[in-house]
Amino acid sequence: MRREPLRALALFAALAAVVFVLPAFVNDFRAQQFAYVGIYLVALTGLNILTGYAGQISLGHGAFMAIGGYTASILMIDHGVRDIATIPLAIIVTGIAGVLFGLPAARLSGLYLALATFAIAVAAPATIKRFEGFTGGGTGVNLFGIPELTASDAPLQLFGFELDFNNWIYYLSWTIAIAGYVLAWLILRGRTGRAFRAVRDSEIAAVSSGISLTRTKVLAFGISAAYAGAAGALFAVATAFVNPDTFPVTLSIFLLVGIVVSGIGSLQGLVAGAVFIVFMPLWAQTVSKSPGAPFVVYGGVLIVLVLVLPGGVAGLIASARRLTRRRQDFPKP
Amino acid sequence: MALIAALAFSVTAAVAGTVRSGTEPGVAVDSIVLGGTAPLTGAASRYAAVARGAWAYFQYANNRGGVYGRKIHYRYVDDGDNPAITVTATRQLIQQDKVFAIFNSPGTATNLAVRGELNGGKVPQLFVASGATTWGRDYGQYPYTSGFQPTYQAEGWVYGKYLARTASGSRVAVLFENDDYGKDLLGGLKRGLERSRVKVIAAEAYEVTSTDVASQIAKLRASGADTLVLFATPTFAIQAYQAANRIGWKPKHVVTNAAAAASASMQAASFGGRNRLVNGTISIQFLRDPTDLRSRKDPATGLYRRIMKQYAPGANADDPLYVYGMAAAWTAVEALKKAGKDLTRASLVAALDTFTAMGNPFLLPGIVVKTAGKDHDPIEQMLLRRWQNGSWKAFGGLWAYPAS
Repeated sequence: MRREPLRALALFAALAAVVFVLPAFVNDFRAQQFAYVGIYLVALTGLNILTGYAGQISLGHGAFMAIGGYTASILMIDHGVRDIATIPLAIIVTGIAGVLFGLPAARLSGLYLALATFAIAVAAPATIKRFEGFTGGGTGVNLFGIPELTASDAPLQLFGFELDFNNWIYYLSWTIAIAGYVLAWLILRGRTGRAFRAVRDSEIAAVSSGISLTRTKVLAFGISAAYAGAAGALFAVATAFVNPDTFPVTLSIFLLVGIVVSGIGSLQGLVAGAVFIVFMPLWAQTVSKSPGAPFVVYGGVLIVLVLVLPGGVAGLIASARRLTRRRQDFPKP
Repeated sequence: MALIAALAFSVTAAVAGTVRSGTEPGVAVDSIVLGGTAPLTGAASRYAAVARGAWAYFQYANNRGGVYGRKIHYRYVDDGDNPAITVTATRQLIQQDKVFAIFNSPGTATNLAVRGELNGGKVPQLFVASGATTWGRDYGQYPYTSGFQPTYQAEGWVYGKYLARTASGSRVAVLFENDDYGKDLLGGLKRGLERSRVKVIAAEAYEVTSTDVASQIAKLRASGADTLVLFATPTFAIQAYQAANRIGWKPKHVVTNAAAAASASMQAASFGGRNRLVNGTISIQFLRDPTDLRSRKDPATGLYRRIMKQYAPGANADDPLYVYGMAAAWTAVEALKKAGKDLTRASLVAALDTFTAMGNPFLLPGIVVKTAGKDHDPIEQMLLRRWQNGSWKAFGGLWAYPAS
């Protein structure tokens, strides 16, 4: 049974290699779309830690992405901080915001928590507009062409290679996405992950095993928000523009849809969720452009997916594995 | 090693992709490809009619020979009115679909989001479908961007001048949307009222995200104003009429900005004539009104109806947003003609630097699309109209916003 983790490691390395060479096989613009897949993967990893593992629903992760995005943008435009350097700062700021939000939110559960998190998603755009001098108001912040934004004006020279903007954000996003993914796996396999799952499965049982509910929930909020902050900062860098409407209420809902599609409480299907967020609306448009039709297609596909794959893509992977294993274990006559 | 080779290959391929092969992107011997974004989904999806109207007109123009034998292919993609999606969708149009120019995308924030990038790449951002003042005002900084419709400031100014002339001594209360759109209209109104005996005595803002404006209307009434000005999007304007009616407010004059003044909105607000407040409302127009009974027989409206029937069958031809799209498309065809047979992005921008187009069949007769020198607001003339017994009636001559 020692071969199981080895095999997983080999599979992970193979997938990482695919990510690394993918831009060679797709055109320049596709690289950029896949960069957004990487960005959403970061956000979904964070959201799944909170909702899938710690059992705390969040309808407000778009707001945490907004905090990350605005932190990065304001640091770049007003304080001359380079884009890469803004990402760790955005992670810290958003992580703190997540902890601060988690303190009162830890008292809530279920529907009430959903509403409280939804409230921050609704309030975020209006709040950003309110502090116009600081955030640029409804006009937003344009980052394109400023020297702090790597490769937006001229291609980046890196290890003797030339990376244009699309490829640069692709590698940046996926480096962070993979690092974040591995980090999430490390967090969740250990003591912290066990505490999260214990809280999710039964709060009473968790408390009687000596787990502090508040501390665990607040920690989950903090970690999860930090991921959303990284995603938001990457989003601002990739889009080269932020504005209150770039982080609408629907973003939070799309993120939740993303983890439902990928499978709540599992890290395996997350890429599928991110692909769904980026490509499903585009694909829905190619089916029909008549008024309102793209959303109907989107909704229809989502309903079918939830019915056919109640466990998401991760559930599909798990049942496929069960199937192959059963075949192997079957005693030979 | 193989990985590094693959990476090197990808990078050189990417660079090769951006090198121009001598011809202009999106221009071929027999075609010009224009791109644009539009909200096909979401709360603002009614503005998709602008793109559909423009598409219909281009089909019509193509069947009459196009521009110097080139047919115009207009591809519009959904952005759901979300600027972040506008950015990625616009990049797709430029980098993957290799469009010649971005044309007539609706929205202020959406267009602001891509303006820097388009100007950086020297891609024309032709006839932005938004009335923000920044398109014309910042022409010096963003020469590849051009606006189209009268600015919200110009529109507000006309209401101000009109009230100053005809309603001396009035006290004005304003409901406005708390963003650049509402603030530009309010700023223009105040400018038009300068040195007059009409005063704005109360102004209440609402947020785009609000659900109701009844409390704002109650406050405006309490201010003792006798004139109500609504600078709102259709939903909120309709709510405002109903709220004012419910509390029995009967201001002497009511003004509603053009965006909210589509006939359908006015009919909804008037509750089949039961809301008397709607009657007598003043607004501006610069497009031909397809519902205007008097224009039934005029050839321009006939042309519009024919194009709608042929290229947008099933669409509601009474919606002025289709007229808007056609007016912009007509002007784009004129601009492409002026840019010459050897069409380049630079020649199009040069053609728009000093540009005059008369006789646009989708604008009101007499309105000239014109840019020259520092004045880069293409349409600055408009007509006032009054809502009477279920339809708009234009009155007076054309108002021209002074070039500042």
